[in-house]
Amino acid sequence: MEGLFFNVNGGYVEGIVRGYRNSLLSGQNYNNLTQCETIDDVKLQLGPAYGDFLAALPPNPSTSALAGKMTDKMVSEFRYLIAQSVGSTAKFLEYLTYGYMIDNIALLITGTLHERDTRELLERCHPLGWFETLPVLCVATNIEELYNSVLIETPLAAYFKGSLSHQDLDELNIEIVRNTLYKNYLEDFYNFVNSHPDFAGPTQEVMSEILQFEADRRSINITLNSFGTELSKQERRKLYPEFGNLYPEGSLMLSRAEDVEGVALAVSAVADYKNFFDAVGLSQGGGGLGGMGGGPADGKSLEDLFYQKEMEMSKVLFTRQFTPAVVYGWMKLKEQEIRNVTWISECIAQNQKERIGNFISVF
Amino acid sequence: MSGAVGREPVFPTRQSLGLMKSKLKGAETGHSLLKRKSEALTKRFREITRRIDEAKQKMGRVMQIAAFSLAEVSYAVGGDIGYQVQESAKQARFRVRAKQENVSGVFLPQFESYTQEGVNDFALTGLGKGGQQIQRCRETYARAVETLVELASLQTAFLILDEVIKVVNRRVNAIEHVIIPRTENTIKYINSELDELDREEFYRLKKVSGKKQRDNAAADAEILAARQKAAAEEAGKSPAAEEPGAADVLGEQEDNDVIF
Repeated sequence: MEGLFFNVNGGYVEGIVRGYRNSLLSGQNYNNLTQCETIDDVKLQLGPAYGDFLAALPPNPSTSALAGKMTDKMVSEFRYLIAQSVGSTAKFLEYLTYGYMIDNIALLITGTLHERDTRELLERCHPLGWFETLPVLCVATNIEELYNSVLIETPLAAYFKGSLSHQDLDELNIEIVRNTLYKNYLEDFYNFVNSHPDFAGPTQEVMSEILQFEADRRSINITLNSFGTELSKQERRKLYPEFGNLYPEGSLMLSRAEDVEGVALAVSAVADYKNFFDAVGLSQGGGGLGGMGGGPADGKSLEDLFYQKEMEMSKVLFTRQFTPAVVYGWMKLKEQEIRNVTWISECIAQNQKERIGNFISVF
Repeated sequence: MSGAVGREPVFPTRQSLGLMKSKLKGAETGHSLLKRKSEALTKRFREITRRIDEAKQKMGRVMQIAAFSLAEVSYAVGGDIGYQVQESAKQARFRVRAKQENVSGVFLPQFESYTQEGVNDFALTGLGKGGQQIQRCRETYARAVETLVELASLQTAFLILDEVIKVVNRRVNAIEHVIIPRTENTIKYINSELDELDREEFYRLKKVSGKKQRDNAAADAEILAARQKAAAEEAGKSPAAEEPGAADVLGEQEDNDVIF
């Protein structure tokens, strides 16, 4: 029954996204990319998928310019989708942009705190996190004004309310602000997909799963990254999203974890994460943090494994029908693709071919 | 060569000879000292050149690794962290101390890098994802900067030493090829002039004493002749008469100067 009326409003968007999905780079494409000798070759190989977006690039562009153009394409495709969607689907797509908005606002807060000209920062903002009232934030000259305008002007107001005051913006590290917002965002998103009547059925199932994974990943990453910093355990705990496979027991154990072994112990209840930790050798305590990012034998770091898992989940999303969740999957896959291409072209540009295969391809 | 060097404008006296001799001695001591200094500096210079070569190659490798670790960060974080890192950095963690090192009288600045422990302004960057990569990248870049500092101190020493070695070598050459020959020339000149004077003096003395001898001989002959004449007269008049010619040594009349 749930699919009976979905296509009335969401069918077109879903169809388009499935089309977009087919243009994602496949393993074969990646193979070709890794064989390239110069960035120009990379550009040529990307031609079928990215076409005219790369045409404006000068010969031998920088990797960041290349990544910028690829992001542009993703943004324009997403904008098309959001323009075509209505009702709950549109709302869902808006939720997808909130994550980028948080980054943009964190950027502006940083700028305002250091009394920079925030107008210059607008160019650095992620285009997906752009909202109409974003430039209004630049009017603010001090942090209190900014806080008040953030509360009123932006869609993120709800995430500030209740957990952050304007003194917090001043005193807390911007990363803590960002992660608090992100936690609130994830919780809100999770709540949204679970409570909205239109999403009952496949959307709720798959989105819950993927958001839970995202929440767990953030918790684990925050814990691992906070070792050796001034972030206290209480503060750390406040940054964990309050749902997910690890919540509540795992989160509690994470918040008490003192070292990598503690984290490994905390996540051992969930088979997937336990496997990740075993794979990178963190649970034995042999690998240590030094092993992150390339130390382990197979060249995968915990972060890589998380990305891999995320990509597989995103890929599986496409087996479901009658759900806007495919847009989420497509965006994640596209982002990973941009990262992959950036990585490959960095390897080529810096002549470090031995680790060129360190990207994640699921197709 | 020595003709071109000329000599010092001095009067050929014994005093200036003494002066010149001490000057020559001084110049020779100075020359050997400077020569040794120049050798010490050159040795150091060569060592520094070798170390610069090593440091530059190391820098190439380290910078490559560092740039690559930045690529890793951008892969893991999936965005630009540059602005955030710039803004959150308030205190320098990596600092440089300048020292002076004395190499045979030349002060070479030496830069020494050290990290201010406990200053980690962007430890929380990438808290959500990529934090470890960012910290690793920071460490890699700290190592790269360390190499740069090392290279900078070597390069500065290289430039200063180069300058100093040039100056010292110029001095060594000047002493060796100008001052010493010139002083030697002067000494030779003074000696020859003095010898000449000596010979002239000797000749003059010989002349004088020759004339004196001739004069004495003539006076003796005169006296002898007078005595003989007197004796002949005495023999004619009174043989008991006193000898008139006997010189009264203690008398009033002046002695002749005795000249040797």
